[in-house]
Amino acid sequence: MKWTVLVVAAVAALASSVVLGPATVPLSELFRSDIVWNLRVPRALLAFLVGGSLGVAGAALQALVRNPLADPFLLGLSGGAGLGAVLAIALHITGPWALPIAAFIGALAALGLVYRLGLIGGAALDPRILLLGGVAVGAFAAAITTAIVSLADAAELRNAFLWLWGGLSGASWDSVLLVALYAPVPLVVLLAASRPLDLLALGEEPAGYLGADVEAVKRRVYLAASLLTAAAVAVSGVIGFVGLVVPHIARLAWGHRHRALLPAAFLGGGALLAIADTLARTVVAPRELPVGVVTALIGVPVFTLLLRRWTVA
Amino acid sequence: MLRRLVFAVLILASCRSDGRTVGRPAQRIVSLLPSFTELLFAIGAGDRVVGRTTWCDYPPAALDVPSVGDGMPPNVEAVAERKPDLVVLYNSGPNVIAAQQFERIGIRTVLLDLNRLEDLGPAARTLGRLTGLEQRADSLALAMDSLLHQPPPTSTPSTTLAFVVWDNPPIIIGRGSYLDQLAALAGARNVFADVAEPSAQVSLETIAARNPEWIAVLSDSAGPPAFARRREWRAVRAVREGHFLPLPGGLFGRPGPRSAEAVRQLQALLAR
Repeated sequence: MKWTVLVVAAVAALASSVVLGPATVPLSELFRSDIVWNLRVPRALLAFLVGGSLGVAGAALQALVRNPLADPFLLGLSGGAGLGAVLAIALHITGPWALPIAAFIGALAALGLVYRLGLIGGAALDPRILLLGGVAVGAFAAAITTAIVSLADAAELRNAFLWLWGGLSGASWDSVLLVALYAPVPLVVLLAASRPLDLLALGEEPAGYLGADVEAVKRRVYLAASLLTAAAVAVSGVIGFVGLVVPHIARLAWGHRHRALLPAAFLGGGALLAIADTLARTVVAPRELPVGVVTALIGVPVFTLLLRRWTVA
Repeated sequence: MLRRLVFAVLILASCRSDGRTVGRPAQRIVSLLPSFTELLFAIGAGDRVVGRTTWCDYPPAALDVPSVGDGMPPNVEAVAERKPDLVVLYNSGPNVIAAQQFERIGIRTVLLDLNRLEDLGPAARTLGRLTGLEQRADSLALAMDSLLHQPPPTSTPSTTLAFVVWDNPPIIIGRGSYLDQLAALAGARNVFADVAEPSAQVSLETIAARNPEWIAVLSDSAGPPAFARRREWRAVRAVREGHFLPLPGGLFGRPGPRSAEAVRQLQALLAR
């Protein structure tokens, strides 16, 4: 039953984001229209893929660091991506894909640094140090970014922040294809780690006794979730709340079994971001809202209601 | 509430500087906006400009004036070091705070609005009063105001354009900007004239649907912008057809004494 509801919601979200938009396109011409075919459809698909990836990455990271606050961007990736993008502009690296590639490289650099920090004191990845290292690397990258923006004399640097704070304006069949080829690899790795992730919730030691190769799982999950997030930030900037709120909602309905939780978080995240982007494009048309604003406006009230139910229960 | 407070501060601040416009003509002026630098040189006060921003690159003689930084926000000490008796600032929140700092150390300031072409005349006249060059300022103001009163080249604009100032997310120019006025004076209609603000984020779909004949970009190179090669932008007809209007940033990036020249250049580009 709940799967049916979720799948229907996901399909409805995708359909509505193709049908609705600031430009009026009659239903009869829907699939002959250049605007729909080359702008709306890739944008809807990209929103779904990115939202789903963030949902899964968030669920996996929350299990890994055993902290309900974990979010795909908490581990320094947004700071690294921002630094990459701003550096590309400040160094006048131009080209149609300069910003996404630079952001991706920046996110990977932050990922590597945090990962290395997480290994401090031995070969075991310590989730607490991952969290602290992530926050520290993120803050450091953000400080360098702000220094560059205030010192370099490129007027367009301010716009780099706009890009960074999320949006699917850059969606095209190229970016959809890129994500559709890239995302399945980390997604499958995470899904394959479902069972050990369930065990990890019991604590690292018990998980080890129950047969999980704890160290290998932690590394795999961290790298896969971060690589997924790095791709998301490269094509759509930092879109908040999806990776934080969706896993919690999914956990309420599907429980803590990751074999069900992760697919539910994918569909839920995809549906949420597709709906949020449709609203961002249409409610203030001809203007457009940054999509992160909409995900927060939808996500936070839902989240607050859930918090109340938790504390009451 | 906060907004009201800010407005109150703005009004108070502008009252104060207006009340102090009489007095000895300013001899050492720091200009914190390229448009003001151009206006000061145009009214014959160029030799009294002792400080400018890094963006002030016109007229060429302005480049000989020491720079006091980018002016966003003003570096109060760097400005004070030039020992000015007048600092000219654009009327904005951070500048209001900076102006209070200057007044506190006894430096006279003036905060001027400069968002639309009709702000140019009053700005020139105020600068004329403060420098004792009223006559030249007046004739410059008249010349700049006449730009606004001239009839548009044709009664109905024959061509349409959109100003794209950033591509991801797409940011366009609306009715609130002087660029919208420049387009109208050059005989073109800005397809985003219904957006009241100076600039706004829109979706690519809206640009494609409004189908402007030209995409105007502030750029010093004549070639098409980098985003022209991105696949999603090819849904916009003007991008597919390579209909770009590259507008040099130094001339089009600010309203000023050369705005009439900007209109002529835009007309020439449209007539290509």
